[in-house]
Amino acid sequence: MKSLSALAQNYIDRFETALETLPGQSSRSISELRKAGLEKFAVQDFPNKRVEEWRFTNLSSMTKDVANEDGAGVSALTPSLFETDYEIVFIDGLFSEEQSKLDGLPNGLSISSFVDALENGAVFSLNSEEERSLIALNTAFMQDGFCIHVGEKTKIDGIVGIKFKNSGAIKNGAHLRNRITLDTGAALTLIELHEGDGSYFSNPVSHISIGEGARLDHYKLQNESVSAYHLALTDVEVQKQGIYKNFSFSVGGKISRNELKTVILGSDAESHLDGAYLMRGDQHCDTTTLTEHKVPKNISNQTYKGVLDDKAHGVFQGKIHIAPDAQQVAGDQLSKALLLSDYAAVDCKPELEIYADDVKCSHGATSGELDDDALFYLQARGIPELEARKILIEAFLGDVLLSIDNEKVREYFSTRSAHWLKQS
Amino acid sequence: MLEIKDLRAEVGGKEILKGINLTINSGEIHAVMGPNGAGKSTLSYVLSGRHGYEVTGGSVMYDGQNLLDMDPDVRACSGIFLAFQYPVEIPGVASATFLKTALNAQRKFRGEEELDAMQFLKLVREKTKELDIKDDMLKRAVNVGFSGGEKKRNEVLQMALLEPKLMLLDETDSGLDIDALKVAAEGVNRLRSPERSALIITHYQRLLDYIVPDFVHVLADGKIVKSGDKSLALELEEKGYAEISAA
Repeated sequence: MKSLSALAQNYIDRFETALETLPGQSSRSISELRKAGLEKFAVQDFPNKRVEEWRFTNLSSMTKDVANEDGAGVSALTPSLFETDYEIVFIDGLFSEEQSKLDGLPNGLSISSFVDALENGAVFSLNSEEERSLIALNTAFMQDGFCIHVGEKTKIDGIVGIKFKNSGAIKNGAHLRNRITLDTGAALTLIELHEGDGSYFSNPVSHISIGEGARLDHYKLQNESVSAYHLALTDVEVQKQGIYKNFSFSVGGKISRNELKTVILGSDAESHLDGAYLMRGDQHCDTTTLTEHKVPKNISNQTYKGVLDDKAHGVFQGKIHIAPDAQQVAGDQLSKALLLSDYAAVDCKPELEIYADDVKCSHGATSGELDDDALFYLQARGIPELEARKILIEAFLGDVLLSIDNEKVREYFSTRSAHWLKQS
Repeated sequence: MLEIKDLRAEVGGKEILKGINLTINSGEIHAVMGPNGAGKSTLSYVLSGRHGYEVTGGSVMYDGQNLLDMDPDVRACSGIFLAFQYPVEIPGVASATFLKTALNAQRKFRGEEELDAMQFLKLVREKTKELDIKDDMLKRAVNVGFSGGEKKRNEVLQMALLEPKLMLLDETDSGLDIDALKVAAEGVNRLRSPERSALIITHYQRLLDYIVPDFVHVLADGKIVKSGDKSLALELEEKGYAEISAA
């Protein structure tokens, strides 16, 4: 048997002790689920470069960064500037009732923490075929998270915010388990805000279910500390006429990965996965998507744009899978990266796996530097080089940011990118 | 205003300008004509400060200052305007935003107050009206999807707005039909004043029917080989470059 990584061994060694403090210990089924998760994880280990899906993202530095003792928080947490209408807050991976804003939820909307949901008999599971070790790890150690449910035909005005704040006090993991369920005809806009200081490991796993004719606008700001590891996995199922729209805006993390798996189970359904990432220093940002079209007549598209400076590294892996019977499907995919330094790099792996014959699919990946001609043109009109560069970078990001339907979020992410540019 | 002395420059290790001497005084319009490959565009890029054009000798004084020490944006802010032979398309940047940013950058440089959105709009509307340019161009991305004529008009609009002291026109007539050419020429003529000078780089005499130069120079193989008044342009048209250059 191959030996486990030190980091994986560290988790396994701690499991028995951790069980005593993790929620749901009185429930046998939860304990068994955790043990099943740990067993699976013990076989799989942390993903390494030998795993095809992890060829471009190397987690080896995690051992020294997050396996050590928990410490004091690095600094006081600054509140996020984005105002939401309802809010659930997690501090170092644990629900904070005090900081959350859950009074007066409209009829049909329920928001609870994972712990509360467990107490109310919510069932969590682990697919026996599951091959993603981070989901297995999360299942073993899941300590909190959120459950959101929107009832039939309920359309929620306003924005639900989920704020994850990490102080760096807990290094080896905020294993959050989240669930979003939209019943038939429901509609919801939500934004996840991940922020923090210091070195830590955030491992949120989310399961999203979009009912018939339901629509979820799902936004995410990944602004983790530049010493943090953010490895997020989101699984989405979309029923017929359902719409799932995801936009991820990433500026943080030492190593971050946003893994999205969307399964389209009904006709006339849509999945839109878009995002922008801005990285510098030695940050690494990985976007990995899998879109499965299981039935005919539906659409999916993806557009990701990255700006990489210094020695930053971007990864885009996108796979569209179209089942044999899934005719008349349209799937588009585009990844563009702007490299601001000679040492920045991006790896792209677009994949189309098509088993139906009447489909329309496209994929594209480009990477390049700022256009010298455009830069000179702006300078020749009196605009200083630094400002000219900013104008061109903003223009590069412009169209993907325009795909954000919610105006408030669009403005917020535009402001964040302007803020990022100001720092260069 | 502009004093070029024995200017030598190379591109990619190849010497293109081989000792240019040219003095432009305030209010004068000079035309530089020459065959393809003579170094006409190189001259305009060297004067506007484009990267990759390395000056290997000589000097350029502009308003008593060493022009070659200035960054391209500083040259622009100091009043040098290059009307591009091929204006660059910049997707994602609205023309109005671009113009406002450029104008305010120049105003800021000169210590003038920046214009707010309303003041800017008022000014730009005046200019578009004068030049008979449709306002909707302002909403479109800079030069994206513009026809050749529209691109050149956009250059003239920028020139009208930025009111430079020295206009460098790099083959502004290329790719223009006669109507567009007239509009471009009119735009330049409007700006003619005793304080403003121009250097018109062109292959053909045609543009000079509309913008009448005070001096005409023939550039061949990186040097000015002949200078004269506007009649030299007509002579060139008649005899061709080969004969004049050899003379």
